Formats: sequence, structure tokens, C-alpha cells
Amino acid sequence: VSDVFIEETLRKWLDAHYDPVAGLYTFSSCVDLADLSGDGESRLVVGDLGSGSSGMKLKVYRGTALMSESTLLDLPAGLVAFFMDLHEPRIPAVAVASGPCVYVYKNLRPYFKFTLPGLEVNSLEQDVWQQAREGQIDPLTLKEMLEGVRKKADIPLSVRSLRFLSLETSDMDEFVQLHKQQPIRRQTVITCIGTLKKSTADEDGVSCLVIGTESSDVYVLDPEAFIILSKMSLPAAPTMMDVTGQFDVEFRITAACRNGNIYILRRESDKPKYCIELSSHPVGLVRVGKNVVVGCTDESLQGFTQKGKKLWRTILPAPITTMAAMDLPTRGFQAVLVGLANCEVQLYRDKNLLSTIKTPDVVTSICFGRYGREDGTLIMTTKGGGLIVKILKRTAAFDDKDSAPGPPLAQSVRLNVPKKTKLYVDQTLRERENGLAMHRAFQMDLSRLRLAAAKAYVKALESSLTPMSSSLTEPLKMNAVVQGLGPSFKLTLNVQNTAACRPVMNLAISFLYDESLYRMRNPYMKIPLLVPGLIYPVETFVECTSDKGISDIIKVFILHEGKSSPLLTAHINMPVSEGLTLN
Amino acid sequence: MGLLDKLSGWLGLRKKEVNVLCLGLDNSGKTTIINQLKPANMQAQEIVPTIGFNIEKFKSSSLSFTVFDMSGQSRYRNLWEHYYKESHAIIFVIDSSDKLRMVVAKEELDTLLNHEDIRSKKIPVLFFANKMDLRDAMSSVKVTQMLCLENIKDKPWHICASNAIEGEGLQEGLDWLQEEQVFKTLSEI
Repeated sequence: VSDVFIEETLRKWLDAHYDPVAGLYTFSSCVDLADLSGDGESRLVVGDLGSGSSGMKLKVYRGTALMSESTLLDLPAGLVAFFMDLHEPRIPAVAVASGPCVYVYKNLRPYFKFTLPGLEVNSLEQDVWQQAREGQIDPLTLKEMLEGVRKKADIPLSVRSLRFLSLETSDMDEFVQLHKQQPIRRQTVITCIGTLKKSTADEDGVSCLVIGTESSDVYVLDPEAFIILSKMSLPAAPTMMDVTGQFDVEFRITAACRNGNIYILRRESDKPKYCIELSSHPVGLVRVGKNVVVGCTDESLQGFTQKGKKLWRTILPAPITTMAAMDLPTRGFQAVLVGLANCEVQLYRDKNLLSTIKTPDVVTSICFGRYGREDGTLIMTTKGGGLIVKILKRTAAFDDKDSAPGPPLAQSVRLNVPKKTKLYVDQTLRERENGLAMHRAFQMDLSRLRLAAAKAYVKALESSLTPMSSSLTEPLKMNAVVQGLGPSFKLTLNVQNTAACRPVMNLAISFLYDESLYRMRNPYMKIPLLVPGLIYPVETFVECTSDKGISDIIKVFILHEGKSSPLLTAHINMPVSEGLTLN
Repeated sequence: MGLLDKLSGWLGLRKKEVNVLCLGLDNSGKTTIINQLKPANMQAQEIVPTIGFNIEKFKSSSLSFTVFDMSGQSRYRNLWEHYYKESHAIIFVIDSSDKLRMVVAKEELDTLLNHEDIRSKKIPVLFFANKMDLRDAMSSVKVTQMLCLENIKDKPWHICASNAIEGEGLQEGLDWLQEEQVFKTLSEI
């Protein structure tokens, strides 16, 4: 199988570059491609997370080489390249979101720092710190009071108080001395960042920054003045965002949130317009045309319309590590790249798997677009810090059918369902209006039916009309077999004593039949002692005397000597005689 | 072509017409090279990305060249194959500083050499490892390795390090091409 994969991959992708020790530790949200020099060659801009606590860097690659790197102060949460003005030459700026700030770089030099507005501070907390500043309370009392505030207040504590509460007793005094003079601030942090074209849909149109925060807000920033143009609220903190449209015209922000739902915001409202409730948490969100493709933790990929209607769902072979869109406008090709934990990157168009790329390591970030001068470049970074660059072949063609498992295409062909008839509509209306009465009538009939069935059953039991005897002293079972084509039939009755150990004695068999139709040699027979468990075949011969081709029932009774009611009754439906009696 | 024509061509009385196809990826310097080969008074001052293709004519000491300067942009690369049949020589230009796209150049070269109109022809291929003036340019030996040129057994080929802006290395390549053509003309007689 792997050979097939490799061959298939080689037919579509050229291996342009692989550096297993590039030292790039990042995610798809922190990778972008942009023509940072205005020379027509796109660069790769990466917000490198380093070790997670140190070594955070903004790295720029040109071709196969690292072109520049600069230190970042905090962990990057997202990185986007965007046009912030109309100045010539048209060079995009780079925005790096980390902590509560957005750092904007122009020509790879720090240009502007935007900080999110502070949140409301708990007044009780403020009072407590005020008292500490005035020396009215010692650090231990401060700790107690803050803990009290934390328990009941609906506004959470500031980072400073939380840090203080986590300190050892010996460090508290120093901390209070150091911080008590500063006012308390409560800051939220940025969780995701995106761009939104301001007023034109042009490729190089000026874009606003769209920021999602831990406080469940979404802000749209003006690209030149960096003021908040719009603020929207979500029910939960967003983790991934997709933004489309233009701020001045109409836009749509699709945000995957930490509560496992996806919300769709639109221009006219500051609250979500649509909501998609997922069965498991989203880990990837990609827009393809007008649809949204979501990857979930249950190893599934799901497609939704922009109004939140579910279109399809497909199961993946491994957990998702990252997702990215593959958009080739020159060829009119759009698909989704899905990085999987089993060292594969799969390409899906809708629910169809188009191609699988094997990677030497688990891929953590994917970016597809124009890199250098090549439009179809796939850039991936791996868990081990490697950098993989693949270029889509000019001749590569993706066929929907190749290696796509799942239902056949015919399944998605719409059936020609006929229009609803007037009768159907009338019946539906009637059912809707008289639902209660219909249900009652049905239940009553059902009860009557059950009663009738139970009555008949009891009657059958009482008159021993069944081929099973339920009496405790003579538990018997019988079945009858008719052999022959006629006019002579052989009748075999298999009688069994189903008791555990008691034999049954003094039984006889009697037949009741229409004497004008049948003749039987001995219509009364004695049955020998029945040993439990064994099957006793009792055979007799029946002759049909009629030549009119009619048949009747022969009734068989098993009787106990000295008792008038039978133990068992069996009705044998005799077959039609196919022969004539020889007279 | 009559014997007299060939003889006169060989003797340099009447210059032989040669169709040359100039290929290579976009931004490799094809148009700049052709521009440099033109007479000084015909040269363009500014080189812009070629759309479709340009036809340029110039003469050397013994040959009269008609060069099809093809566009290297990926959307125009499918035009290349329509000119394979009529061409007598190929100039393939490589941007030596573009390590990333060397695989793309190799892919296009392989497609070219395996095309039915080229495969069976003993057509000379001249490679220009261009942009040697750039700091991160690879040597012509390295370019030869990356494109696996040593695997070309059935066609005469030659690689020249060049700097098209200054015109360095171009004459060497053209001389080789001319030699090949003269040799070919001789062998035809």
C-alpha cells in the first residue's frame, strides 16, 4: 500500500525541499505566505513557538533559506499578513497576536503595538488591595480576603491576585511590596486572529484585523488607526476563526468555540446568527467556497453550509493534527488538506479523498499558496521541527474517484420524488388535526385485539386444543406428518413425553373425520408407555374416498383412559388427493 | 535543399537558418539572454515578463538564428510543445539562485526530453546556468547534478554559467551551439 501512496504522491507533487532540523515549531494559525518585499516573490512568515516558554521568534523564509528572524516577546497565538494601507510599493504588514497584544511589523520592523481594552475589575478586589496599600492588612489577611472574593464574585480576579494566591507564604510580603502601588488591571488574551477586507474584494485590498479573545469577544480593528470598528460577543471563547466578505459591505465570521459549537456572525448583528452544535470538539476549520469544513476530535470531517446546515460527514483513519485550505484559483480547484497523526496528509474535496501524502513526521502546520514564484506550493512543518516544501506539478490532475472509499457516486444522485398529491396533503392535515383521537382509537382497538387473542388462547388451553399439553401429570407434545400423494396417505404422529422423569401410561389416540371423505383403518389406537424424552412415532393410514379433489381437516385427540376431555388436540390439514381410488 | 545550397551554407556564403527554442521557468532570464544576443542597437532597455512568446532574429558569423522566446509562466508552459517539431536547437535557461524550484525545472526538462517530438531527435540542448552574479547562486556543476544532466545520453548538450545582465558566458554557449549546427550541416552533406 505504501508503494502505491509514494507513487501516487510522486505523480502529483515535486519534493522541493525537506529540512528535518529546521527548528520550526508552529501551528497552521501562525504560518502565512506574503510578498514582503514587493518583488513578486512570496516569503514564508512563521511565528515560531520555540520550546513553548522560550525561543519564540518571527521567522521569514525565502526559498530554502531563512532570511530573517526576530525575537517575539510572548507566545504567538496567530499570525497574519495583511495590507494596512494603500502606499506604493504594495507591501503587506505582518500582525502577530500574542497575549493581549497585536504586534504589527512593517518591512519586518516593529511598527505598532495594539493592546486590547482592559476588562472590568472586581470592586471588592480593588478595595482589598487598597487596604493592603494603606498597610491596614497584612499579606495573610489579604490572601484570605482575596480567596473570599474569588469564591463569591461573578467577576473573576485579576492575574495579579491569582498569582498572589498561588505564592508561598514566604514570598507574599515581597510580592505585595512590589505590586501594591500599581493599579489593578484585568486583561484578556487573544486566542485567534484573522483578516477581513475593508471595502474591496481585491487581492491587495486594505484589510481589517479580526481578533477573537478569551473573554468570548470578537473585535474588528481599523487597519490604519487601529481603533475598534466593531465588537461582537460569542457564547464561548473562540479557538479558530474564518472570516470572509468585506467589512463595509457584508461579512461573515465563522468561529469555532471552546464549548464545541460553531457560531456564525454577520455584519448586521453583534450576536451569532447561526449555530452549529457539534457532537465532538472542533480541531480544524476551513472554508471551501461557500461551505465550511470542520475537523473534529472524533476523527471525522464534516461539511456545513454557511447557514449551518450539515452536508456530509466522513471518517478519517487517524486523529487530526491540523487543517488548511488548498485553493488554486488559476485551475479553479479548491480542497481541504488534513494533517493526521499517522504521518499522512490527506486531501479532500467535499467528502471524497483525492490524494494522500506520506510525511516523514507528524505534520503540525500546513500552508498552501504562492511561495517564491510558484503558485501551488504546499508548506508543512512537523512535530520534530522539520520543514517540508512540496510543489504541485503543472500536469497533476485530481480525480474524484481515485482511491476514494465510501459510498458510490450514484448514492448522491437525487431521486425523482413525485410531487405531493392532494390526497396526501389532506391525509397529513387530518392526521395533524385529529392526531389525539386517532391515537386513542388505535390504542382501544389494540387493547380489544389483545383481549380477544388472550380469550381465544385461554379457551384453547381449557379445551386442550393445542398440540402441547400443559397439564402437570401428563406433559405431552405432538406433531403430525402427512406423507403421500393420495388417495392413500400415511399419517405419522410423533408423540413425546416432555416430563423430566415420569413415564405416562394409559393413553390412547382417537381421530375425528368426515366419513364421507376419508376412511381410516383404525380410528382408535392405544399408545404404549411413554418414556420421558423419547419420540414415539404412531403411524396409521388414511384413504381418501372422494374423487372430487376436495380435502378436509382430520382432528387428532390424545386421550387418557377414563377421562372424557382430551389431553391434546391437533388439526391436520389434509392435502388434496391427486390420485383416484382403485375400485 | 540542393547540394549547392548546402555547400554555400557551409562555406558561409549564405547563412543557414536555424530555429532555436528558448525555454525555462519564469524569471530565469530567457528574454534577457536573447536581448543580449541581439545587435546592440536593437536591444530593449527594459525586460518585462513575456506573455505567450516573442520571436527574435539575429545572425552570428555563420548562422541565422530565429529564436522563439517562450514565456516561462506555468500557464503558458503548455505552449512549448507546439514548437518542438520545427526547432533545430533548444536553449534551456535555469535560475541558479532558485534552489526551491530546481525540481520544477527538472520536471519541465524531463517532460521536454520525453516528448515524442524531441525524444527521437538528436537535437542539441544548451543550458544556461543563469544569474551567476547573485550571492546564493549555485555553480554550473551543482546545477548539472540537480538536473541530472549526465543522464542525457542521446543528445549533445552543454552547460554554461552565465550572467545575462552583463552578457557573461553567453558567447561561449552560442559558439558551442554554432559548432554543433555546423557539424550537423557537415554531417548532412
